[in-house]
Amino acid sequence: MSTSLLLRTLSGPLRNFGHLKAGSVWTITREAHNKSKSPLAQYGGRFTVTMLPGDGIGPEMMNYVKEVFRYAGVPVDFEEIHFDPNSESEVDFFDAITSIKRNGVAIKGNIETRENRPGQISRNVELRNELDLFAYIMNCKSFPGIQTRHKDIDIVLIRQNTEGEYAMLEHENVPGVVESLKIVTRANSERLARYAFDLAQKQGRKKVTTVHKANIMKVSDGLFLETCTAVAKEYPNIEHNNMIIDNCCMQMVAKPQQFDVMIMTNLYGNIVSNLACGLIGGPGLLSGRNMGPQYAVFEPGTRNTGKSIAGKNIANPIAMLNASVDLLDHLGLDYHAQLVGSAINKTVNEDCVWTPDLRGQATSIDVVQNVIRNIQEQTKTKNWGGPRMGR
Amino acid sequence: MASLFTKIQLTASLVSRPATALLQKQGANQARAFSAIQAPVSKPEGRTKCTLIPGDGVGPELLYSVQEVFKAAGVPVDFEPKFFSEVQPLMSVSLEDVAESISHNGICLKGSLATPDYSHSGDLQSLSMKLRRKLDLYANVVHVKSLPGVRARHNNVDMIIIREATEGEYSSLEHESVPGVVECLKIITAEKSHRIAKFAFDYATKFGRKKVTAVHKANIMKLGDGLFLRCCREIAALYPKIKFEEMIVDNTTMQLVSKPTQFDVMVMPNLYGDIIDNLASGIIGGAGVVAGASYSGNCVVFEMGSSHTFSEAVGKNVANPTAMLLSSCNMLNHVGLEYYGNMIQSAVERVLKVGKIRTKDIGGHSSTNEFTLAVINNLRH
Amino acid sequence: MLIVIFHLPYSNGVRTVTLIPGDGIGPEISAAVQKIFAVAKVPIEWEVVSVTPVKGPDGKFGIPQAAIDSVNKNTIGLKGPLMTPVGKGHRSLNLALRKEFNLYANVRPCRSIEGYKTLYDDVDVVTIRENTEGEYSGIEHEIVDGVVQSIKLITEGASRRVAEFAFDYARNNGRQKVTAVHKANIMRMSDGLFLRCCREAAEKNPDIRFEERYLDTVCLNMVQDPGMYDVLVMPNLYGDILSDLCAGLVGGLGLTPSGNIGTQGAIFESVHGTAPDIAGQDKANPTALLLSAVMMLRYMNLPEHAAKIERACYSTIKEGKYLTADLGGKGKCSEYTDEICQKIEAE
Repeated sequence: MSTSLLLRTLSGPLRNFGHLKAGSVWTITREAHNKSKSPLAQYGGRFTVTMLPGDGIGPEMMNYVKEVFRYAGVPVDFEEIHFDPNSESEVDFFDAITSIKRNGVAIKGNIETRENRPGQISRNVELRNELDLFAYIMNCKSFPGIQTRHKDIDIVLIRQNTEGEYAMLEHENVPGVVESLKIVTRANSERLARYAFDLAQKQGRKKVTTVHKANIMKVSDGLFLETCTAVAKEYPNIEHNNMIIDNCCMQMVAKPQQFDVMIMTNLYGNIVSNLACGLIGGPGLLSGRNMGPQYAVFEPGTRNTGKSIAGKNIANPIAMLNASVDLLDHLGLDYHAQLVGSAINKTVNEDCVWTPDLRGQATSIDVVQNVIRNIQEQTKTKNWGGPRMGR
Repeated sequence: MASLFTKIQLTASLVSRPATALLQKQGANQARAFSAIQAPVSKPEGRTKCTLIPGDGVGPELLYSVQEVFKAAGVPVDFEPKFFSEVQPLMSVSLEDVAESISHNGICLKGSLATPDYSHSGDLQSLSMKLRRKLDLYANVVHVKSLPGVRARHNNVDMIIIREATEGEYSSLEHESVPGVVECLKIITAEKSHRIAKFAFDYATKFGRKKVTAVHKANIMKLGDGLFLRCCREIAALYPKIKFEEMIVDNTTMQLVSKPTQFDVMVMPNLYGDIIDNLASGIIGGAGVVAGASYSGNCVVFEMGSSHTFSEAVGKNVANPTAMLLSSCNMLNHVGLEYYGNMIQSAVERVLKVGKIRTKDIGGHSSTNEFTLAVINNLRH
Repeated sequence: MLIVIFHLPYSNGVRTVTLIPGDGIGPEISAAVQKIFAVAKVPIEWEVVSVTPVKGPDGKFGIPQAAIDSVNKNTIGLKGPLMTPVGKGHRSLNLALRKEFNLYANVRPCRSIEGYKTLYDDVDVVTIRENTEGEYSGIEHEIVDGVVQSIKLITEGASRRVAEFAFDYARNNGRQKVTAVHKANIMRMSDGLFLRCCREAAEKNPDIRFEERYLDTVCLNMVQDPGMYDVLVMPNLYGDILSDLCAGLVGGLGLTPSGNIGTQGAIFESVHGTAPDIAGQDKANPTALLLSAVMMLRYMNLPEHAAKIERACYSTIKEGKYLTADLGGKGKCSEYTDEICQKIEAE
């Protein structure tokens, strides 16, 4: 099993680099970086976007997104793909993947993975591998209206999304002894680093921090750190430092303002991103972007299904709505991104309509209705639908 | 992950017991709450701007009819009229001006433009082709659908004809190599063929269609149409749920007049599209009842399904405004004003179905104004 | 061109016509036509030749020289359906014949047939198609990877030739009007040239009405009111499409005759397929080939024989007793043929 699994897992992220030779890394990754984006399903200023509602609170959140988009006159149509998490069949899942390949962009809730079957690859991971979504980006920015211990946090967290500890290559050699492989490749590390530095430069950020554990995992994390340091040399105007993961977590809860842009491997990213969410106000606020050379998938920041609160009208819709704003931003619909984004911020910061996770009394629907009211207020005076401009 | 789950559960359990009970009750009422949210369908208070090109022939009369209906329905659309014409070059605004307006507004409602056989400036390209090139309006979509109350030889026709509109036979690359011998180039590129094929399949996906038929003449034009067909096949592979078929153009015309209901979505190069559009329009009742649209990535021009100016009917108050009205409904739906789009569309369908008010082309005696008035009287808010 | 052939010296004696039975159902329907002609006492002798491809001196497969010689000698041929073998080295035989005899005009009369109901019952149009150039010039090349350029070639000579033929045909067949179908508003030079040649021909033939229509308009009107048109003349591709369209209006290729007029001769044919699935079972419908043969008789200035056979054929279909399966009947090819023969004898 393990060989076939190895091939299957690696075929995604490594496919573009199968012909890689040690010396040619730089040129090839440059090429991959400049590789044209797949054409979007954009016609007459309207976009078709794949929607994977996922499980748990996903479907209700997606309904909120659709409502908000309708009121904001957003020229986006969704191709919804549902699949049964209990079904063995892969047909629906591959439908979802081809749909994203066609539309270029997707918004997604989390898909439930049954943990008890070792052979089963998480569909979330498989999706990221299949579409080569190598970078996960989360903007962690404090909401001024929400009381938290730390203020003015503004971190861009960039996480390797397709390899590392999540390679899911595990086996039990002899009973009672389990090996789990962690994969780090120079190619993937390099394009992640380059993505991070490019983003820092574009957004005018000052510092990039590489998070690692190279003191223990000298070869694997060592390679990651080494690659990031090499790339950093190409960006002399951006400060680069590195930090060991355990120290990083401590610094994060003590003085999170010191961080600007952070790069890390898969597992560390998972830890730090959840930490950051906690600092800012819980799992219901932030959104994350899965980016690859060709496709982009948007989802709530903390990837969980929230099954326990599904259907109770108490889940916080802000995270999914923020993901939809990221989506609009990616499509180049700046006017609509601004419209929805400001309506969300006003709801959270000024109107203080909060769900129980933020210690508020409002229901999910109250929050969505408030966002819609804010949108309506803005569209009264403006040109409905805004200027039509795409990428 | 697991720790987060418990965290959420904890948060939930922190809320006092009566409160949870209340929340659960609310959850049960969610369906009702949802319907409250969804009540008004796209009836925003903001306004939308739309470029308006009256066109030649009966175009201005038809668009006047649209404007009257919009006014009566209270549609929040402001028109930005641009007079644009090849037959009256002195009164026409410049191509740049029109293109600028359309790309800013994103939408345009356009009457047919007359294309004379020769141009004043010796130009090989007609004005509407220039506009198409300028804005890259590469996909022309004509939805041919039998309308209740319109008598025609075939019923239950419902097909979407998608045509590549920027290359192919209409490339305007012509030259006279020696006197008496003219060469006209037909250009087919993989890039544009892929683009139109993807458009067709995406369109089919969006509107829940089952089948796409590529129309070609690859048995004779092995390279050109062959390339087009190959591109269609490549794109089709990405859409496993949509059936893909190929048909030679002459056979297609024969099938169209004998068994038109077999077609669903059709995709084809430029010239064949022109032929099939008109043929299909003829089958269900003529050019007066078929709406069309031209898409680029960023904007859409809504127009009649087949471009006839009916200059012989100008000023006689006999033209059929159905196609233009349906086209304007498509425009409203495109910008998220479905509320109004549906209202006008059902009013038009009601008038046709009752059949008392019919224009000459579909076997009646009513005037354009009478038809417009009937539509206005049938608007149901 | 036409006139020359009409005045060949032996126009009153028995004439020889080359018969190419073709493949599949071809031999059966050819036999049916021969039988009917014999009964009608048409002064024609058949010279049956095979066009099964033979390997030429250049190693390519082509039409046997005997067949070419026969048509060259007789200048008139009748041809059943041919199958083009799949595979390299085989040129389409139809194309080869077209080249060999310079068949520049394809004529297809389409007429609603009483007794076979379609949605269109008032069709009576003739499509005349330029057959040697235009879009099917065969000049294509890939300029760079993914960009193909095909050349549509329009020449004054070929356009004038077909335009003049259209007017001649209209006059000889008692037609009132010729419509030039074009797209000169888009293809201003190439279709413009074609149109100019038609206009010049129209001036020389003031007795026939002439009009110009856009291709799209013709398509639109054809399915709404086919009665608007009489004789249509057009470049290659438009003709290909419109002739099949018109055939569709009257019930398919099994009922439409076709003639190819050339400078070196004329070949009349049925344009349907070889139908190998029903070959040899006595189920085939010989109407298309028979009507093509009737067209040929008119072309050979034998209008009485033509009219006699045509009347018998139409009335057999109208009675509907011996219709073949493709027309919704249960009759056999032989029964249908015998019925026509009886009608001819009865006259």
